[in-house]
Amino acid sequence: MDYQSMLSLALPLGVAIAAVGSALGLGRAVGSAMEAIGRQPEAAGKIQTAMIIGSALIEALTIYALVVFFIANGKIGG
Amino acid sequence: MGLDFIDRSLRTTGIVLLIFLPFGLYYFGVYPTIAVLSGTVWAMFNIMLLSKLIRSVIRPEGVENIGPVLVVLVLFVLLFAAGYFLLTIPQFDPMCLLIGFTGLFAIMFLKAVGRWLTNADEQSSNTRNIQKVL
Repeated sequence: MDYQSMLSLALPLGVAIAAVGSALGLGRAVGSAMEAIGRQPEAAGKIQTAMIIGSALIEALTIYALVVFFIANGKIGG
Repeated sequence: MGLDFIDRSLRTTGIVLLIFLPFGLYYFGVYPTIAVLSGTVWAMFNIMLLSKLIRSVIRPEGVENIGPVLVVLVLFVLLFAAGYFLLTIPQFDPMCLLIGFTGLFAIMFLKAVGRWLTNADEQSSNTRNIQKVL
């Protein structure tokens, strides 16, 4: 298998793995936040803030993978 | 660190962006500066929508009105379409978009470090406790 074929296989696989990882992480984060708010409703504001920042960071990792995909996509020749 | 942290981070990012704009145009040129600007504005909208969604869905009272949540979800789709459009513009370097996108997180990190170093959270909770007593 040559470099071009390996790159063509690895790029979408990399984005897919990043998306699956983000989905798992986000699901866990939301689940834990719901549990924490259920236990301590008065701390909802603080939990929501941590949740927003955490979700944004998790989402950012997938976006980084997507941008790397776009950068490396230009290296695949016809 | 309450919910106002997000709003203040967004405001600070806007101010930093305004300060960066003339310097970027002078030193890096028009397209890289617009790419950085677009990346940051995209990240700001992303955080705004995310914050609206989480504030209206994940709360002890539950979802009151489904209308605004649906609007936010539709806006998310439009935002991601806009992001894809930005990435496909040949004049915009994806690295510049990425730098702009990361800028918001850098500001959030620096603000959090600043609050931690100055014990702002403890001071604000102490002030709140004093106000409660008074």
